[in-house]
Amino acid sequence: MSGSRSPDPVTLEVVRYGVIAAADDMAAALCKTAYNMMIYEVHDFCCGLIDTQGRMIAQNRGGLPIFLADLGIVIRDGIEKYGPNGFSPNDVLLMNHAGVCGQHLNNVAVYTPCFHRGRLIAFAASRAHWVDVGGSRVGFGSSETTEIYQEGLQFRSIKLHEAGVPNEGVLQIIRDNVRFPDSVLGDLRAQIACCRLGGKRLSEIADRYGWDAATRCIEEIWDQAEAQARAVVSRIPDGRYTAESCLDNDGRELDKPLRVKVAVEVRGSDMTMDFSEMNPQVMGPLNAGYSGGLAAARVAYKCLTLPEAPVNEGSFRALHLVLPEGTFLSARPPAALGQWSIALPTVVDTTFKALASALPKRIPAAHKGDMGGYSIYGQDAQGRRFVLLNMTGGGWGGHVDRDGQDASVSICQGDVRNVPIEVQEAMYPVHIEHFKLRADSGGPGQYRGGLGIDTCITCLVPCKINVNLDRTRCPPWGLAGGLAGQSNQGLIRRADGREELIYKGTNVPLAPEDSVIFRTAGGGGYGNPKDRAPARVAEDLREGLISEAAARRIYGAGGA
Amino acid sequence: MAERGLQVAGVDIGGTFTDLVAFTGAGLVCSKSVTVAEAPAEGVAECLKLAGLAPEALSELLHGSTIVINTVLERKGTATALLTTRGFADVYAIGRANRPQSFALDFQRPQPLVGRQLRLEVDERIDGSGNVLRPLNRAQVEQLGAQLVAAGVRGVAICFLHSYRNPTHEAEAACVLRERHPQLFITASHEILREIREYERISTTVLNAYAGPKVEGYLGELSRFLVGRGFHGALQIMRSNGGTMSVEQARRQPVWMMESGPVAGMIGAAELMRLLGLKSAIGFDMGGTTAKATLIDAGVPLFRQGYFIGGPVSGQPMQLPVVDVIEVGAGGGSLAWVDAQGALRIGPESAGASPGPACYRRGGTFPTVTDANLLLGRLNSQRFLGGGMALDTKLAEQAVQTGVCEPLGMTIQRAAHGIVQIADTMMSLAVRAVSMERGIDPRDCTLIAFGGAGPLHAVAVAREIKISRVAVPRYPGTFSALGMLLAAWRQDFVQTFVAELADVDGTEVHRQFELMAAPGWRQLQKDGLDAATLELIRSVDLRYRGQDHALPVPLEGGPLDAASRAMLRRAFDALHERHYGHASPGEAVEIVNLRLSMRLPRDETLVRRLLAAPYRASASKQLESSRDVIFGDAQRPEAARIVWRGQLEAHDVVEGPAVIEEENSTILIHPGDVARVNEIGVIMIDVAPV
Repeated sequence: MSGSRSPDPVTLEVVRYGVIAAADDMAAALCKTAYNMMIYEVHDFCCGLIDTQGRMIAQNRGGLPIFLADLGIVIRDGIEKYGPNGFSPNDVLLMNHAGVCGQHLNNVAVYTPCFHRGRLIAFAASRAHWVDVGGSRVGFGSSETTEIYQEGLQFRSIKLHEAGVPNEGVLQIIRDNVRFPDSVLGDLRAQIACCRLGGKRLSEIADRYGWDAATRCIEEIWDQAEAQARAVVSRIPDGRYTAESCLDNDGRELDKPLRVKVAVEVRGSDMTMDFSEMNPQVMGPLNAGYSGGLAAARVAYKCLTLPEAPVNEGSFRALHLVLPEGTFLSARPPAALGQWSIALPTVVDTTFKALASALPKRIPAAHKGDMGGYSIYGQDAQGRRFVLLNMTGGGWGGHVDRDGQDASVSICQGDVRNVPIEVQEAMYPVHIEHFKLRADSGGPGQYRGGLGIDTCITCLVPCKINVNLDRTRCPPWGLAGGLAGQSNQGLIRRADGREELIYKGTNVPLAPEDSVIFRTAGGGGYGNPKDRAPARVAEDLREGLISEAAARRIYGAGGA
Repeated sequence: MAERGLQVAGVDIGGTFTDLVAFTGAGLVCSKSVTVAEAPAEGVAECLKLAGLAPEALSELLHGSTIVINTVLERKGTATALLTTRGFADVYAIGRANRPQSFALDFQRPQPLVGRQLRLEVDERIDGSGNVLRPLNRAQVEQLGAQLVAAGVRGVAICFLHSYRNPTHEAEAACVLRERHPQLFITASHEILREIREYERISTTVLNAYAGPKVEGYLGELSRFLVGRGFHGALQIMRSNGGTMSVEQARRQPVWMMESGPVAGMIGAAELMRLLGLKSAIGFDMGGTTAKATLIDAGVPLFRQGYFIGGPVSGQPMQLPVVDVIEVGAGGGSLAWVDAQGALRIGPESAGASPGPACYRRGGTFPTVTDANLLLGRLNSQRFLGGGMALDTKLAEQAVQTGVCEPLGMTIQRAAHGIVQIADTMMSLAVRAVSMERGIDPRDCTLIAFGGAGPLHAVAVAREIKISRVAVPRYPGTFSALGMLLAAWRQDFVQTFVAELADVDGTEVHRQFELMAAPGWRQLQKDGLDAATLELIRSVDLRYRGQDHALPVPLEGGPLDAASRAMLRRAFDALHERHYGHASPGEAVEIVNLRLSMRLPRDETLVRRLLAAPYRASASKQLESSRDVIFGDAQRPEAARIVWRGQLEAHDVVEGPAVIEEENSTILIHPGDVARVNEIGVIMIDVAPV
């Protein structure tokens, strides 16, 4: 239906702002009413408006970066199941099926059809991380599952409400099978309200301009997004660029690293990412369905093309992904997907590494490369069940002309905030001994990597911890002669003073007065450290960001 | 107050202009002068002279200034140190580890205002329940003090963990330093903010210490200047919460001055809506570089608990309550441009005051919203700023031709019309953000429009989101300075206090409120004010257990008993339903913070005399003119009635298409809309539906 005539430029702008504002409104409502910190702090959700062919009209800004225009597949499954005429106003659908969605089951999509003057015009959808979906895992970061059935309930395009009537049976199944039903059902209510709001906003636009005119604008917006992205890619020299790195292991077979191998092919304004040589799927839960590979490719592409622009169906039209089934980023059912997103920052970074020679001014050295979280759980002194989840930052890589940023969350986490020390101590039975920048962790270089964080947490009651540190075999690399940053380190210091290193562990018991120390990775350095300006070395030394030994040994400085 | 001969003046020092509005026994006077950046007091003197006011006759001067926010944005504060609990000096650098620009590889974290060498750790520790785990090492604090003075530090921020709960260590450290080094400007976090979350509290405390010495100097100079000219009234300073404080308090707590200017207009709008008997309204202020909107509910502007100075991406968090002003980069000076894909865009860049819009004849060559308004016939080229500045239509035309018409193949009229429509859309989204996002239907609101350009765009913005009524107060161009005259003396306190609503100890809540009020009572006494009309307003931040975001719910006077508990509970469920469309009456509700506001409102008669004086036409009837103005259709200009506002009598009716012009602003009435002058001179416009 497009192309008949180009839309009026003013209507176009009004519709452009309108659909984005609709998606942002949905996100704001969801964030403020959600019951679990994975939504309101970690922003592990996305919202958007999808057309009746499953194409992304607009998506909210500021959510977790790995959700990029990937709600379409969810809607298409529903359309296939019920037919294009199989929806009524006030239907609410539920979807997290691993075989279709390819993400861990905690990511539950809720969506509603939007009708305008009796006609189905679109869907308003939200996907959010529920704190629990049943199964054998508690909290976050378990390495123990080997198939999806251990990871919880699956809902495949289930009508939770049919024409406004709730399906009490499905609600009962949820209530009886998840560990934190208040939180989960609260989040579900928040998601439904958020979709209704999106639908309302969209009908306001349709009322104002007519849905056909609005559709023409939307298609024009997609075309513009595609053209903008193509314009950027066409400035990258043609060629096939490759890079490789690895992850430590899948959490089950500790001596088997996972290969991350990427080829990026640039031809004119088209970019193809070839992930066919990724490691085959693994036994542990470090797999993702196709959606995981797609997310990594899109995050990398978006950073390189239009980092600031809102996301829609056109944003990725000129990106092609080669990803045959059976890799750990395109795993076949019933693979375990519990940690589906953990590998993605490394995949994105490896893609950047491939393009470093083609874009030397834009690509920084590697960043910390993992999601950097911990989860501590148990029962507090009042006997209440608790889960403390926290995401911490690490160092980012040096650039061609400046040092990397310190203590920031990964490329696959955007506006994710850590939990304040005071909140951790006031709400959970823990005591934090220190929380500081990790000196010397930044990879040396003419422009050094940013610093990681050093945290020490002491437990006050018996509890358990899941730890998930990776990238020790392949620390954040340097570029152009810069050196690698220090890799992640985890340490348990028992109350009696014994220390044990810990990298990956599930349900590790901690006794009162046991401490856990996390030292997150620093970013890689850029350029030869010998070329670092002496004034900068002296400044780092004065500020205590590097040690005197490092200043002498690496930078050849004479000490302060 | 409000005696015969009483003279009160409000002075708003902005980046470009210094505005003054004063109330004298005879009525209101206004003046405007160019801001002298190096010597702001001179602008004040000039304004007083222009208005014919003698400093010695003023009983009170209210003042708003951008000095604090500019000091922070330009990073021109004093050398400042930060004292923290041992182990946590880097919290200020690490912040929350987040990256609001998710896909930017070259993102920049907020840059701390204190370097690592001046972030010093002290031996002490208090736990999450307020218990002392390790006492304060006084000797160490003494030693650090000497070290800081030797290093040339002037500002010191002290922020220890859990001081919102137990401030004794902070208080002791501050006391040690103040005794030994009276020349230091010292701020302990609990003196300004008692809310959980160490990073935001540290940042707020540092902002105060960092701006402190400079603001102390500025306010001292202004006081001396005024006193030197015979002023012996009270100097009051506008604060971000929409109230005022004494200059003595402002010297100690300058961080409260952050949004000194922009909030004053919203305070004026709030008073106006009370007079007009409106239930909800949206204040809409459009100036040269931005448009601002604030929701005002039942005469009270909405608040936000903190924001980021310099924007959410790399800005410094400031956690004190501030009138919730949503800003969009669309003002009269905003540039119109065409992007690489051929889309017409407005802002966020602005031509500002210099070079200004092309039509200002100051060397601007890019088209702006003001240029477009001129080309549509909406602005009068001869009467801008009361005739003080003639606008050049030819230059506006050239700019739009080159900047928009050529790349898009449009006529001048179509381009100008498009620019204004897009600006209207952007502004309407901001207005919608302050209403719908908070569960308020804009259709139930009145838009109160002010600022130089507000009344020109207000009707279109209102129509876009189905607001049916617009009110334009008198003196819309200097309304912010007027708003200051209406602001109450005000102190706001917050105390983090987490407990289940169902079983919280009501006596303990009461005790907490008493403790919170103590510094307010002390300040009242220091400022020599009479407590007879003091209002104490209590509220409680509530959420469903498990949620993060809390909603403030008012707590009526008296102890927290079973009845008030149930009332709070019902009010919270209703508020949640209203804001978000769902509620959970069966679930546990948690208290997060207690809030207390102490206010000494202005004398009601003064408010009435300022805003509600019976209105009479001030100018004699002249021949009305008519001019071609483009409204809805770029191809078909319509003959619009041109009216000078001063000629209108109460109850006069002006039907659109019409333009009502006045000294510092222009009101546009579209075809189908009807404006009426009410008995106090406010122009009320009924907006026709789309």
